[in-house]
Amino acid sequence: MTQKTIQVTPSRCVGCLNCELACASRDWGQYYPAGSKINLVFFKDGGQVPVTCFQCDEAPCLKVCQTGALSRNETTGVISPDPERCVGCRTCVSVCPFGNINYSKVGRRVEKCDQCQGQPRCAAVCPSGALAYVDDAKIVRERRRAFAESFKEVVKEVFK
Amino acid sequence: MPHTLPKVTGTIDGLKFEVSPGTTLLEAAKTLGITIPTLCHHPGLPPDGNCRLCLVESGKKLLPSCVFPLRESGGAFSTQSPMVFEARAFVVTLLLSRAPKDKNLLKLAEVYGAQADPLLSDGEDGCLRCARCVRACRAGGSEAIALIGRSRERKVAGPFFEPPIDCVGCLACARSCPTGVIAFGEEPRSIWGRDFDLVKCPRCGRPIGTPEELKRAGLTDPLCPDCRRREFSASLLELPEASFTGY
Ligand code: SF4
Ligand code: FES
Repeated sequence: MTQKTIQVTPSRCVGCLNCELACASRDWGQYYPAGSKINLVFFKDGGQVPVTCFQCDEAPCLKVCQTGALSRNETTGVISPDPERCVGCRTCVSVCPFGNINYSKVGRRVEKCDQCQGQPRCAAVCPSGALAYVDDAKIVRERRRAFAESFKEVVKEVFK
Repeated sequence: MPHTLPKVTGTIDGLKFEVSPGTTLLEAAKTLGITIPTLCHHPGLPPDGNCRLCLVESGKKLLPSCVFPLRESGGAFSTQSPMVFEARAFVVTLLLSRAPKDKNLLKLAEVYGAQADPLLSDGEDGCLRCARCVRACRAGGSEAIALIGRSRERKVAGPFFEPPIDCVGCLACARSCPTGVIAFGEEPRSIWGRDFDLVKCPRCGRPIGTPEELKRAGLTDPLCPDCRRREFSASLLELPEASFTGY
């Protein structure tokens, strides 16, 4: 099965924030940084990394959601939020290892990346190719899983 | 091939629907773009059918659509008949006796020509006794609150009307209350007469959640979401040529 995914190459990111802008304006009609589901993390010593939801294979958020407010499309693998079903317990926010899911107090709903249901605006507006919407071939999935495992070790250290 | 049961068909307001057996009448109406007003119903919680606002008519009988599962084909339902209007007007009148100032109710009152009836006054404390809060609490795995007491004394509270020991302070109850009547504090955290500690992020000091809440999520000493993201991003920066697509 080939699924599409948003590929992030931090070294290419120029820090223009186009992605945040495009993302936030989809749901909020304006640039409301807190409403963006992709976020640039800036570092003091230079460099920045755009991060958004990875639609994890073993998604902790999906596991803890008891109301069906998060569900996975089995064809695309994408986990989408259904704001109507969200009761606001915010357990998903607590368990995401990457801080990639948010509860909006203003909108009273869970917010996360759903890859714009097949046409991610962030990748479309990225001028440098730091974000690309690509086929997520199985072999790549396995490689990134290995990477994630090593990251999880890091997280464990941190969470200790 | 998965075994699929034959679909259930029928009509709502003259429009034909076709749904899987067990689908509620309310959901079937939604597939046709017909909106039925609801109050106690929350799409993420088990239906309870207690407010009666979602009544529809079928052959001179009124049915609460949010808890009515469709099993047999051939039903003809009306969401607009005079009988439905009258019933809803009465329901709204009753609900107004509990929450006379609620904006949604007042809007409904206008639609159905209902008015608060002083003779029916039932506390007027703003709570509809719809138990969305109770169900939200259960969905989260706690049983902090329930509808307790009888008739006019009946209200949502912790056991013995005391601050509930089972409460983790997640605030899901307050967030799913249709009238927003549940008093709570975000920072500092308080609800149902209880005050909670807030665990601070060891990096940035921002409050993450109550210890009870984090324990329920199975977390010990986590970072706040922003610092978690930062931590992860830093590990990406160290691999200058890396591309990353997920895990
Ligand atoms: S407090 Fe709100 S959610 Fe709970 S029963 Fe009353 S109206 Fe319903
Ligand atoms: S919405 Fe169906 S009975 Fe309340």
